[in-house]
Amino acid sequence: MNHRLFVSGHLVAALLMMGLVGATPVRAQSPDSSPANAYTPPRTPDGQPDLQGFWTNSTYTPLERPDGVTTEFYTPEGVAETEARAGAREAEQTVPGTIPDVHYDFTQFGLDRSQTTMARSLRTSLIVDPPDGRMPAMTEEGRRRVARREEEARLRGGRWDSAENNQLDDRCLIMRTAGPPMLNTSYNSNYQIVQAPGYVMILVEMIHDVRIIPLDGRPRPNPRVRKWMGTSRGRWEADTLVVETSGFNGKNPFNGSSENMSVIERFTRIDDDTILYNFTIDDESTWTQPWSAGLSMKKIQGPIFEHACHEGNYSMYNTLVGARLEEQLAAEEAAKQEPN
Amino acid sequence: MKLFVTIASAGLLLVAVSASAHHSFSAEFDIDKPLTLEGTLTQWEMINPHSWFHIDVTNPDGEVVPWMIEGGSPNQLIRMGVTQNTIPVGTLIVIEGYHARDGTNTAVGRNFTLPDGTRLFLSGSAPQ
Repeated sequence: MNHRLFVSGHLVAALLMMGLVGATPVRAQSPDSSPANAYTPPRTPDGQPDLQGFWTNSTYTPLERPDGVTTEFYTPEGVAETEARAGAREAEQTVPGTIPDVHYDFTQFGLDRSQTTMARSLRTSLIVDPPDGRMPAMTEEGRRRVARREEEARLRGGRWDSAENNQLDDRCLIMRTAGPPMLNTSYNSNYQIVQAPGYVMILVEMIHDVRIIPLDGRPRPNPRVRKWMGTSRGRWEADTLVVETSGFNGKNPFNGSSENMSVIERFTRIDDDTILYNFTIDDESTWTQPWSAGLSMKKIQGPIFEHACHEGNYSMYNTLVGARLEEQLAAEEAAKQEPN
Repeated sequence: MKLFVTIASAGLLLVAVSASAHHSFSAEFDIDKPLTLEGTLTQWEMINPHSWFHIDVTNPDGEVVPWMIEGGSPNQLIRMGVTQNTIPVGTLIVIEGYHARDGTNTAVGRNFTLPDGTRLFLSGSAPQ
């Protein structure tokens, strides 16, 4: 195991023992409440702590601490205020004729987070380490890589020049709910966990990605084998599922990461309705230190519904056709302006 | 049933969302072509990443014109009990939205209502 990750993983565990409140539902935050110690999760028939079921990691807590916020936790009143503000942003009445108005109404489709089960937290950021709640500084190599990717994108042309120039989520290839690390997106941040002897399977609703995590300690594949979601290996540490993932293909960088990124995730069921999900990221070629974050996964009612994104993605066609038409109109306009 | 293609009145209470979304709507639809359509639902494609509502709109001259209207991901609607049976084919709906840039009978539906002004889905409650 990478030494930096090993140290950081223990640091996170300590931080979470001290600050469990941060990733725990508000209602479970009374001073005498210690769900991580008091709760013993049920067992699967083969004896694993049972994480099975349907879960969401929907939350309004941002990954990084917002500008101007200097405390690690909000007061209950403060977090209610920020959630109300965030909810209002999702449901805001926009000005007709403005870009944000060209959209369907999230609230009609139940896509605003306030209409779904949501993990509530007093934390001002998902990131718990570094303590300032922000991602650590990028290395020089990381900054160069980000600049190089931007230049490569520029050389490929505009976003609407071709299907390949669209973002990965526009193309229905992968979304950030898949991870790892698994982070919420604005809607459908739902998961199903199924356990079998020797395996944990996580079905991600968005794009219906599947993570199959073996627990038998099998060796990793040849390092040349690279995948969108990396290769994961899991093990149990007491009642916590620990999953280590590396072998990313680098095509879906996480906040500027390289293909060398390693992720350690920890899943701990702390009550019937909650899994504490913490992760530590290490990528020496991108960040000056490992960094860690945590959030809760809350139980939801199943089933997971198929998100067959590509087959219904009429938007891709409409967008590209619209862009070609705009170009044609612009060319015709330019031709009119030219002197005869 | 009538077809209205109007510049949306600034006095109307228009509800829409600027939340992050799957793709750029302004690249697909024309901000300068707001419209209001009233028509009969003929098909509801509950598909991801975006649902599509097919409606027949009758022009003032009596011609029936099919339109396709983009809406949100259906997963959460299904989760809340809204199905194709809840809004049956034949329902008369009014849609405010924006016309597609390519000029076809395609639009994004910013606001879906029944003719009496009721919002189309029961889930349409803004957070308190």
